[in-house]
Amino acid sequence: MSMTTTAGHVHADPHHIGVVIEHPGPASKRIVTAYGFWIFLLSDIVMFSCFFAAYAVLSGQTAGGPKGSEIFEQRNVAIETVCLLLSSFTCGMASIAADVRNRFWYYLGMAVTCVLGVIFLIIEFREFADLIARGYGPSRSAFLTAFFSLVGCHGLHVSAGVLWLLTMMAQVFAKGFRADVLRRMMCFALFWHALDIIWVGVFSVVYLLGGGT
Amino acid sequence: MLGKLDWSAIPFDQPIPLVAGGVVLVAILAVLIWVVVKGHLPYLWHEWITSVDHKRIGVMYILLASVMLLRGGSDAIMMRIQQAVAYQSQGYLPPEHYNQIFSAHGTIMIFFVAMPFVIGLMNLVVPLQLGVRDVAFPTLNSVGFWLTATGALLVNLSLVIGEFARTGWLAFPPLSELSYSPGVGVDYYAWSLQISGVGTLVAGINLVTTVLKLRTRGMNYLRMPMFCWTTLASNLLIVAAFPILTATLAMLLLDRYFGFHFFTNEAGGNVMMFMNLIWAWGHPEVYILVLPAFGIFSEVVSTFSGKALFGYRSMVLATMAICVISFMVWLHHFFTMGAGPDVNAIFGIASMIIAVPTGVKIYNWLFTMYGGRIRFATPMLWAVGFMVTFIIGGLTGVLVAVPPADFMLHNSMFLVAHFHNVIIGGVLFGAFAGFEYWFPKAFGFRLDERWGKLAFWFTFLGFYVTFLPLYIAGMLGMTRRLQHYDVAAWRPWMFMAAFGMLILSIGVICQIMQLVVSIRNREALRDRTGDPWDGRSLEWATSSPPPVFNFAFNPDVRGEDAYWDMKSRARQQSLEHDEPEYQDIEMPRNSPTGFVCAFFATIMGFALIWHIWWMVILGGLGAWATFVVFAWRDHDEYVIPAAEVAAIDRVNLEERRSLVSMAGIV
Amino acid sequence: MSDQTHLPGHDLAPGEEEQHSVGERVLGYVVGLGLALLLTATSFFIAGTDLVWQPSIPVALIVLAIAQMGVHLVFFLHITTGPDNTNNVLALAFGLLVVFLVVGGTVWIMSHLNANMPPMDQIMPKPM
Repeated sequence: MSMTTTAGHVHADPHHIGVVIEHPGPASKRIVTAYGFWIFLLSDIVMFSCFFAAYAVLSGQTAGGPKGSEIFEQRNVAIETVCLLLSSFTCGMASIAADVRNRFWYYLGMAVTCVLGVIFLIIEFREFADLIARGYGPSRSAFLTAFFSLVGCHGLHVSAGVLWLLTMMAQVFAKGFRADVLRRMMCFALFWHALDIIWVGVFSVVYLLGGGT
Repeated sequence: MLGKLDWSAIPFDQPIPLVAGGVVLVAILAVLIWVVVKGHLPYLWHEWITSVDHKRIGVMYILLASVMLLRGGSDAIMMRIQQAVAYQSQGYLPPEHYNQIFSAHGTIMIFFVAMPFVIGLMNLVVPLQLGVRDVAFPTLNSVGFWLTATGALLVNLSLVIGEFARTGWLAFPPLSELSYSPGVGVDYYAWSLQISGVGTLVAGINLVTTVLKLRTRGMNYLRMPMFCWTTLASNLLIVAAFPILTATLAMLLLDRYFGFHFFTNEAGGNVMMFMNLIWAWGHPEVYILVLPAFGIFSEVVSTFSGKALFGYRSMVLATMAICVISFMVWLHHFFTMGAGPDVNAIFGIASMIIAVPTGVKIYNWLFTMYGGRIRFATPMLWAVGFMVTFIIGGLTGVLVAVPPADFMLHNSMFLVAHFHNVIIGGVLFGAFAGFEYWFPKAFGFRLDERWGKLAFWFTFLGFYVTFLPLYIAGMLGMTRRLQHYDVAAWRPWMFMAAFGMLILSIGVICQIMQLVVSIRNREALRDRTGDPWDGRSLEWATSSPPPVFNFAFNPDVRGEDAYWDMKSRARQQSLEHDEPEYQDIEMPRNSPTGFVCAFFATIMGFALIWHIWWMVILGGLGAWATFVVFAWRDHDEYVIPAAEVAAIDRVNLEERRSLVSMAGIV
Repeated sequence: MSDQTHLPGHDLAPGEEEQHSVGERVLGYVVGLGLALLLTATSFFIAGTDLVWQPSIPVALIVLAIAQMGVHLVFFLHITTGPDNTNNVLALAFGLLVVFLVVGGTVWIMSHLNANMPPMDQIMPKPM
């Protein structure tokens, strides 16, 4: 070991005896962009994990306020979940349409995704507004603080996603399926699917686990 | 209309911040006027402010860090003087001002000195070492820098408009909650860190992607220079740890702005959860800072010993081990919080384990030096000074990693001495070593050795005279952050520390003198070959300063120490004189996106701090529009024609040939 | 830099599929959607039912959630075990490790803390 390094010459990769797989050089822009966004998503998920951790720590601290089982409505959550799952599917359809450069199916896929996302946001907004109207706002107890922040953080991400989605559609309309537009579309799809994964965590941990007795 | 902002925000009754702020303002205005009158503005705008060149952005990061080092350093001088005089008296700084100073000192030194310095060096060097033309996302790189600068601007703005946090550099609740800190200080703190945190995250994503996806042909993972490995590890930590800081500060801000109960005393909030979350970021953060420094020392020690790095693979393993283990030790910052013996024991053991890979590194550097032909140039002096100093800091660190010992030393001056020992002795010495080492690469001339050595010796000596007394004061029971005290036994040590601060300041003056003298003598110090230190990695294979495209050809790498290998082969095979076939090179166009985006971020941050909601919306819309405009542009690259590439490259090739042939004769 | 999708020797971008026809790709999303809906329905059913042993419900919900995340990763984000995906999977693994450490560590530490230092009103009875 020390011999090869002090010699300072070739001899790297002693484990690939004979066949040294040479690194082929810089990757294409598409791979670089998507990979960078992938790293961003992981960091975003770490951020969510803090809100999950806070929820886990604070979920019992109701301070005399309502418990989760008293305020959650499973039916609404189920509708929200179906909306997001279907929107993930339509987003996938839009990515395929973008790859084969079919404008009609692209717009259709994105529009449906947008509508489903907006329905999700409306249901969530009404749930929040209803809770606040009943006096169960985030400053009522630490539990509600954690609940509103975790679910609201996901909601903010979905809102940002809808804004991005509309910007993307406008861009395809103005610029067509250019290489950089396709790269952005790929990142958007990653973002939208990742939000779905977070939502799986949210409805399982917050609504189902927290809604039980 | 203007939220909480009115004339009472300006501290007319406090002469020190007012005068300091005034002086800074006058200085900035003077520089601006000079720039405009001399007609440098177009040059600055086109070549620097809108530049997406990783080398330029790296230099700007380091410039920001140097300026902020002076700001954080003057805070340190004020604190040392206060503690020297405030024996049985109030000293010259009132408590509320003293508290702002130590909070600002910590915040600035970590977020706006250490971070931008190491990120700047990584930006400057890593693409060169990997043999590529730029980082993965050049425009985002510029956005990241300008957002960091925004954070620094907001912190300094707090000096003259409003106040800074009085809560220490981590703003622990419940003190930082609205009921105990009703002013805007904590908001300044939190928003400047949120904004610069986004910038840091962007830089982290960028550098991880660069190292993993952009390497020249043949640059396999185990052929990357050590600095690239530590960059990878450090930036992986950034992308994994900074979101924790963002989330934690967001929770604190929600508490303060909307009456949430994350960390309050009422309604079931949990104060301890803040300590837990912030240190889950805070401990990886120290490795984010020190790992790049380790990389710099590896390069410097190997170059100035004329040998390949000893135990390269063990070094890689140690780096990645630190990267993972650093996420498993955070509780040692709050052993005394009461998690109980089993939790404390496990985190104590993990904290001691993380010293092992660090020890491996120290031995590797020593063995690299062993039997080498060592040249004690300034970078090497910093490296050797680091090894001695860092071992002391590391040992006191292992000491406080033992929970029972920590119960005695927690929050004492001993702790203050320990973390300054590792951060100054590790990060700052590393940053200075890297600065001296890569300065010729960035600017094309070397730094004056005489002033450099003086700077080293004053800083080195000054460090010990300042911080060894703090260890002793800590042992004598002195706690940190004291505005005044009544214990006679501490006083001599405080005097000595203040004297040490004087020596350290002379070191800083020498550093500035070195820069001035070197710029004046730049023709004599000119580096014509691009390889002033007889270097080993690819950044030395191009001219100094490198052309905007870095390399006319992406170099082919055939082993570790790629450039050393090329030089050896060139000597053996005499020299190939056939002219290479130059090709057009596409480079990313400059873009004001970063600057404009940071402009809106500044407006938004300021408005958030002062509750000016219409301005918040305006700033947010502006930032979004900036990105849309960026996404809409049609030409993001420009072409440098082959003839121009050839003209630039030939000059350097000629100089380099003469160097190699001369070395061949020797 | 070119924009070709897949050069030999290079990695695959995250979220990108191997070369397939449109029909196969749509089928992949359909299968993913079906599985996801099935798992979601099971979760909601289990949470509300008294047909299963009650203490097993939290475990079942967590297992179902992890399974569904896996389904999303495979069918929507196209994460595979192929060599061209190694980098993507390694990054994901690092992220998951950090998530696990942060959430697990926080819960562990805070529960010990609460056990050692219960709030005052739990130690002392409230003055009536």
